[in-house]
Amino acid sequence: MWNPGKSVTTSSVCTKIVILLVIGSAFAAPYLVKSYVSFAAKNPEIIGPLLATFYACSVPGLVALFCLDRLLANIKKKDVFIEKNVKYLRVISWCSFAVSAILFLSGFYYLLFLLIAVAAAFFGLILRVVKNVIEQAVAIKNDNDLTI
Amino acid sequence: MAILVNLDVMMAKRKISAGELSEKIGITPANLSILKNNKAKAIRFSTLEEICRVLDCQPGDILEYKKD
Repeated sequence: MWNPGKSVTTSSVCTKIVILLVIGSAFAAPYLVKSYVSFAAKNPEIIGPLLATFYACSVPGLVALFCLDRLLANIKKKDVFIEKNVKYLRVISWCSFAVSAILFLSGFYYLLFLLIAVAAAFFGLILRVVKNVIEQAVAIKNDNDLTI
Repeated sequence: MAILVNLDVMMAKRKISAGELSEKIGITPANLSILKNNKAKAIRFSTLEEICRVLDCQPGDILEYKKD
């Protein structure tokens, strides 16, 4: 039978798989980028910048994924409205903005990155609002816990 | 804190232990400790009513306003 506990476990497993995929693709990046450039018939000169963008985005991406994993671990322990989760959401939000900034700069040599930069910034903004909501919820929960 | 809870004074007067009081008013000993140590942010009327009933006192005997 499907239940919220299983849903959190599924999210946690998916997060761990994505972490492994990002680490794996970091090792395979030179090969992947070369294959993409030859397949899409792009100028081979962009291999270097593409790799730089990939590795630069991998760092905030991995940080965000690790925070997501910690966040899910807390949710699994039923610790939802706690300060730590607000901190994790803040970090994930800033990581999205960092990726957005990197992709925005990369947009100068590869225009398609500008679109992803806008998407990442929008995602960061949504997460920021979610963080604000959780922050308020933590304050309300603290008040409620101290109402006897 | 401007509002002080003088529960221990009243408890001493009525010679009642914290465990007994928490049991009689229907709150956990941990919550009673929060109340006694002035860590609470608010008190429900229902809790106050129960405390007054068990300790046979008025809210003013338990709560005190003190200027910061």
